[in-house]
Amino acid sequence: MPDTHFYRYDDYDRTLLSERVEQFRDQVRRRLAGELTEEQFKPLRLTNGLYLQLHAYMLRIAIPYGTLSSRQLRKLAEIARKYDRGYGHFTTRQNLQLNWIKLEDAPDAIAALAEVDMHAIQTSGNVIRNTTADHFAGAAADEIEDPRVWCEIIRQWSTLHPEFSFLPRKFKIAITGSPNDRAAVRVHDVGLRLWRNPEGQVGFEVIVGGGLGRTPIIGKTIREFLPKDELLAYLEAVLRVYNRYGRRDNIYKARIKILVHEIGVEKMREEVEAEFVQNKDTSLRLDPQTIEAISSQFAPPALSHRSAVVGAVEALKLENRDFALWLKSNTAPHRMAGYRIVTASLKPAGAPPGDASSAQMEGVADIADAYSQGEVRVSHEQNLVLPHVAVEDLPAVYAALERLGFAEANVGKITDIIACPGLDYCALANARSIPVAQSISNHFASLAKQHDIGDLKIKISGCINACGHHHVGHIGILGVDKNGVELYQISLGGDVDFGKTSLGDIIGPAVGADRVVEAVDALVATYLERRDEGERFVDTYRRLGVEPFKERVYATV
Amino acid sequence: MPLYKEGSIAPIAADDQLAPLPLADWLKAPTQAVMLANTDVLDPLKNHMGRLKLIALQFPKYTDGRAYSQARLLRSRLGYRGELRATGDVLRDQLPFLLRCGFDSFESNQAGFGPALARARTLFSVVYQSSSDDRAPAALLRLKLRNATAEALAAD
Amino acid sequence: MAKNLSGDLTVVSANRLSDGVVVFLDDSGHWTRKLELAALARDKRAGEVLLERGKAEAFSVIDPFLVAVSEDDDGTIEPLSLREKIRVAGLTFQVIASEAVRYA
Repeated sequence: MPDTHFYRYDDYDRTLLSERVEQFRDQVRRRLAGELTEEQFKPLRLTNGLYLQLHAYMLRIAIPYGTLSSRQLRKLAEIARKYDRGYGHFTTRQNLQLNWIKLEDAPDAIAALAEVDMHAIQTSGNVIRNTTADHFAGAAADEIEDPRVWCEIIRQWSTLHPEFSFLPRKFKIAITGSPNDRAAVRVHDVGLRLWRNPEGQVGFEVIVGGGLGRTPIIGKTIREFLPKDELLAYLEAVLRVYNRYGRRDNIYKARIKILVHEIGVEKMREEVEAEFVQNKDTSLRLDPQTIEAISSQFAPPALSHRSAVVGAVEALKLENRDFALWLKSNTAPHRMAGYRIVTASLKPAGAPPGDASSAQMEGVADIADAYSQGEVRVSHEQNLVLPHVAVEDLPAVYAALERLGFAEANVGKITDIIACPGLDYCALANARSIPVAQSISNHFASLAKQHDIGDLKIKISGCINACGHHHVGHIGILGVDKNGVELYQISLGGDVDFGKTSLGDIIGPAVGADRVVEAVDALVATYLERRDEGERFVDTYRRLGVEPFKERVYATV
Repeated sequence: MPLYKEGSIAPIAADDQLAPLPLADWLKAPTQAVMLANTDVLDPLKNHMGRLKLIALQFPKYTDGRAYSQARLLRSRLGYRGELRATGDVLRDQLPFLLRCGFDSFESNQAGFGPALARARTLFSVVYQSSSDDRAPAALLRLKLRNATAEALAAD
Repeated sequence: MAKNLSGDLTVVSANRLSDGVVVFLDDSGHWTRKLELAALARDKRAGEVLLERGKAEAFSVIDPFLVAVSEDDDGTIEPLSLREKIRVAGLTFQVIASEAVRYA
């Protein structure tokens, strides 16, 4: 098996994980024995990733910076089979959710995770959550620096942070190392963007107070350029200001975005900088050797020189139209010629978005071993990524993914839908998401049609908490409950591409579940009729405004 | 409420001489002991660090974590060395965090709190970040280990 | 099929502590997985009493609450809200089987 090309746990990391498992085992024991009330226990189980949903407990497993070895993916498959129902759901925050975990089994499941250096620490609760990164990190052609180095530094700093384990609300950080943001950094509590300043130094732009949910807000820059070694000193300043002044009187106003909104970004900057001045030059400053030691573990794999143009690939392109489409939509430029980044679509026609069976996970792990340096990524768009595939291996990878049902040539297309678990699983939801995604997916199943429609992102949330990121969907769909009936509110024009992050506008009254597909069809038809050459759906919408789309959707009511 | 300190599994008697006053009262006539609300600012205490022997910080609910930041600022920034007491909704599962933020006495009604306090420092032998205790984070230990290895190699 | 849809009919439900499964309070104060065995409160006051009883028996469950149900002529009860229907009947779509590599 190939060696991993990302952070490898040492004895310190493993000791902490195993001690954490034992602490949780004792907490579960005390809960089952009645020594802890549910109110006392809930924050403890949440910070170990354990939720209570409608029908069962759900375990949310962190996949730090979305990077997995094949060995880890196989272990996830095994845990899903042994402690759950043999499938899992990859989420928009680079986590894996298992939906049918028993409380009594949870410590064993978490101990099994620790065997492959994985955990569920701080995947829920009012704490610093799993830091997410560009899923193409370390492989993308447009990358300035690998953001995962910094995610790992943050992972360690934030894990069981004594001061920040009871924050006003959850706290999510994302990092991108590319000008083309694939980590949605402007809609996180803190977004970090690595960039090179005119002096040639690489540092962070620090963006604060973004988020979706009930009150969607695009984050604001509070620091144009932060030297990399001051990252933790700065984050600690942001978190301290938030912990002290963030609202705790109203759960819906407790995120940092509300604090920033209420006191203003100038005041926020002032408070953070005042705190930062005190933190600077303390032990929070990162030692160059520490940075180097972690960076070196993310050193890219030594890829042998491979041909960028391969006769067999060109031939198959002509012969197999689906393969040609797949090359276009599901592979992306690698930093090295002769290689591509392949996205395995977890969105086959009619399937619940982001779900994979244990057998499918093992299948992807096998492909990664054979063709992608044993490495897999999880994208925030709920797909899996094979980051280092040689061009000449593309036909074999395509065939292998096809056997798994993961070769649908739809990445970035209308059926590459993001959806939260919705009312089928979730105790917070008002309406179902997955069945809506399935009916849209079935309706637009034709690949030729999807590629004609082009890039179009549909994002579906089953309630206002917006786990399905509907605010930033080109087409956003939000499930609401009206007197016990599921209705769906449609918005247009959201986006998360860097520099263009925008929130969608609601087009009109919510429609019934049976009319969602029809409405999407009307939106697409309007676009197809009115688009200019080469224009994406969202660009046509921006040019024309809401009227023609709205008119068409409601014409048939 | 029963008061605990490390070194005793049973609750200990509170020192009646050190009854903490709410900040507003204390400011009128500073004594050796003050009780802060978790929204109080710390500046007024700045010049009294030598006088103060007890500062009590409050957890109105155990999920309200503001007092952790107050504790860290008192210990690490203002250099407070006296007793730092956690009061209110204080539960044993907070102890690893409380100890690391510099608390050293605890009022709690929870059964089993004393034995839990006795074990609290043994739960985690590794920490990842520096705080207001004197524990070295893993990154620092790794650095020392690397340097020691490099020195040993150089000496060979 | 006349249904009683007044919203006055309620049962008490909760999730079982050990594994999270959906349970209902029966007439003898035990928790059952079967809705048909649930104790039925026929008016608001009876519902309050039943909920109190559920809370008193909550050692092995989490957060008992009242669920509004309807009753058929033949005595079959069914939750009124979609959320509670899903809690009783399970997912409304087919999930992939553990050993399957493709969706049907």
